[in-house]
Amino acid sequence: MSEKENRTPVSVLTGFLGSGKTTLLNRILSENHGKRIAVIENEFGEIGVDNDLVIGAEEEIFEMNNGCICCTVRGDLIRILSNLLKRKGSFDYILIETTGMADPGPVAQTFFMDDELRDALALDGVITLVDAKHVILHIDDSDEVKEQIAFADIILLNKTDLVSEGEIDRLEERLRIMNSAATIYRTKDANIDIQKILNIGGFDLDRALEVDPKFMEPEYPFEWGGLFEMKKGYYNFILNQGPDPAMNINLQKANESTDSGITKTIEKAVLAFSDDPINLESGAIIEPGDDLISIDLQQKKNEYILKIPSDGSYVLYTEHHPDEFASIFTDASENKVDPVVTREFKPDHEHDEDVTSVGINTAGDLDLEKFQKWLSDLLKNKGQDIFRMKGVLSFADSANRYVFQGVHMLFDGQEDRPWKEGERSNSLIFIGRNLDRKTLSEGFRLCLT
Amino acid sequence: MLNVNPSKLKRDTIKFQSEFEFNDYIIDLAWSPCGRQIAAVTVAGQVFLVDTDKSLRACEPIGNHKFGCNSVSWNPHASQFSTAGHDSKVFIWDPSARSKFLELDAGGDWVSNVAYNPCRKQLASAASRTIKIWNDDHDLIYESSNHSSSIADIGWNPDGSGLAVAAYNGITLHIPHKQRQPRKYEWKGSSLALSWSPDAKYIATGEQDSTVHFWRVKSGADAQMWGFPTKVLQLSWSMDGRWLATGGGNSVCLWDCSGKGPEGRRPKEYKAHSNKITNLAFQPDGPFLVSADLDNSLVVWEPLKHNKIVGGCLLSSPASSITWSKNGLLAVGQRNGKLSIFQIKTTL
Repeated sequence: MSEKENRTPVSVLTGFLGSGKTTLLNRILSENHGKRIAVIENEFGEIGVDNDLVIGAEEEIFEMNNGCICCTVRGDLIRILSNLLKRKGSFDYILIETTGMADPGPVAQTFFMDDELRDALALDGVITLVDAKHVILHIDDSDEVKEQIAFADIILLNKTDLVSEGEIDRLEERLRIMNSAATIYRTKDANIDIQKILNIGGFDLDRALEVDPKFMEPEYPFEWGGLFEMKKGYYNFILNQGPDPAMNINLQKANESTDSGITKTIEKAVLAFSDDPINLESGAIIEPGDDLISIDLQQKKNEYILKIPSDGSYVLYTEHHPDEFASIFTDASENKVDPVVTREFKPDHEHDEDVTSVGINTAGDLDLEKFQKWLSDLLKNKGQDIFRMKGVLSFADSANRYVFQGVHMLFDGQEDRPWKEGERSNSLIFIGRNLDRKTLSEGFRLCLT
Repeated sequence: MLNVNPSKLKRDTIKFQSEFEFNDYIIDLAWSPCGRQIAAVTVAGQVFLVDTDKSLRACEPIGNHKFGCNSVSWNPHASQFSTAGHDSKVFIWDPSARSKFLELDAGGDWVSNVAYNPCRKQLASAASRTIKIWNDDHDLIYESSNHSSSIADIGWNPDGSGLAVAAYNGITLHIPHKQRQPRKYEWKGSSLALSWSPDAKYIATGEQDSTVHFWRVKSGADAQMWGFPTKVLQLSWSMDGRWLATGGGNSVCLWDCSGKGPEGRRPKEYKAHSNKITNLAFQPDGPFLVSADLDNSLVVWEPLKHNKIVGGCLLSSPASSITWSKNGLLAVGQRNGKLSIFQIKTTL
């Protein structure tokens, strides 16, 4: 174990061309940090160096004969790092700057796969720079961007001066859905306190625990809820054709006419949305209650009639945002009726994000054997889709915390400090493509004693 | 630590002769053909030349490569040696003047290897993806960048007819005097080290994926050996070409390449080290094999007689480079910059 503690930390800097990697690197190197830093660069920017060593290298990806992506490593890094390790006095810190198009997978895997590097170096963290203005152009169709975000321990949302606050908020929320474990900082000119990004300890799960509430934030089966004041009688809900051929809705009676009218009906609505829907076609009548109703939206104009039994507040929950169908609400005399309050929900299908995080946080002790079997099956079957995982685990027969991290099928874990009184729990997170939250959580819970 | 008590070892097998202090990781060594001098290069780029019969506490380098050095080779046909640096240069040195007399441009930043042809008057260098071959007058006679990654190792056919190059995707065999397309021994993996069997039947490679590959040079048929705990950087052939010794973990293995070859045969295994083997060297003209590990141990075997240690000692740091002379001397370069010369004698 002592050997592991003496390992030299390595940070990997990723991000698209123009995201600010060179600026950040210059900042790190020029700051008076008293460290001897070695930099390996795959993309040649103009770097100012005094005491530090900068080595340029061409990216060389080595796949192995079995064709498994998890065994893909970076030959250039192995060659250069293994040479660096031979140097006298060595280095306090190593930074690797990848090209904008680099897949962080093989870079991270190199530190697990190569025995020489594994013994001497510790992957401290992957720092991903995101150009707040331009990332949106690539995020949907670039696997590289998605993977750079998914692999990050730290995301610097850079160039925030070029976009509005609202845009940044939305972008940050999206990044959080993809990678809930990363710490996100907003920066201008990559200006960040170096202490916050170097020597963070890839293993330090206290950090992941801090952000826990965010990755445990529930997702809703609806995107929108609107509270209406309505009188006994009939109302019209008129929707144009939109992006979906049908959508689920539910109308709840509320007892309050303020925002809390929504808050207090959410749970009922979530329950209603877990039922099989009743399919209705344009012209049908909808009444308040716990039925989930699927309204057909294939006509150019679809009109549904709401039958309101008594004066009061009602909340309409809709699977998609009603604006997507240019919908309007009218009373019987065709006057437009607006909701008193509305709320948007974080849907579980937003952007149909294929890269997501699944956090599991549960009390109890794990059975070592069951857990090993579950994890090894999981990594065998889903390893290609799991970019990263990390966690702190409580094993039944151990007084110490067990901390681990992994990249694809590769796993690196060790016992850490003893648990404190009342602290025992399990907390882990998977970041990957097409992850199924339910299967993962249930599988994990079955490993508890 | 060794699995045996070093005090029980027969001390007369391994006899200390002299020691030199270079004060930096010794990355490569080469004996002069007469066995009286050693050229050594360090990771930071210093070049040393010593007379092996006199110990020297503080040695002065005779020159250096900027940024670092990787390899040294002694010319078997003339009194000169060459070195490969991270400065894209090959330097040619005159040992009698103790100075560099020529610089060659290797065609890439990181010159990983230099190697003199054992039979013909040629010098090969490897830098990034490029090999260059020079004649006796240091005129460039051959050049190729036909490799799919930076070159990891090179090796001349013992008969001098070709140069094998190890890189990602296997071996490329260049026949410089014929100027034709090189021959490829391809597979999907990253070859890190190569070694020709002395009879030139086989090229063995040590691989990143913790395997050893045997290529039959003529037919191009290959065999892969699994089961190594680590990547394999240590390969050494017995003088008759029958046995290949491999490291790649804590055990020394000997693979029998007689007859049908190593496939389907269990290797002989030699266990004494309890940490990873760093270096391995068969005596080129005798029965001994030495192995060294990360715990500073140096062990002498007579592996074809039995699997017991015949000698050994503790170094002051792990070995980084080991080379035999033709007169039974063993040069051991260490990570802390010490170069130790031992005489290895048969106990009979």
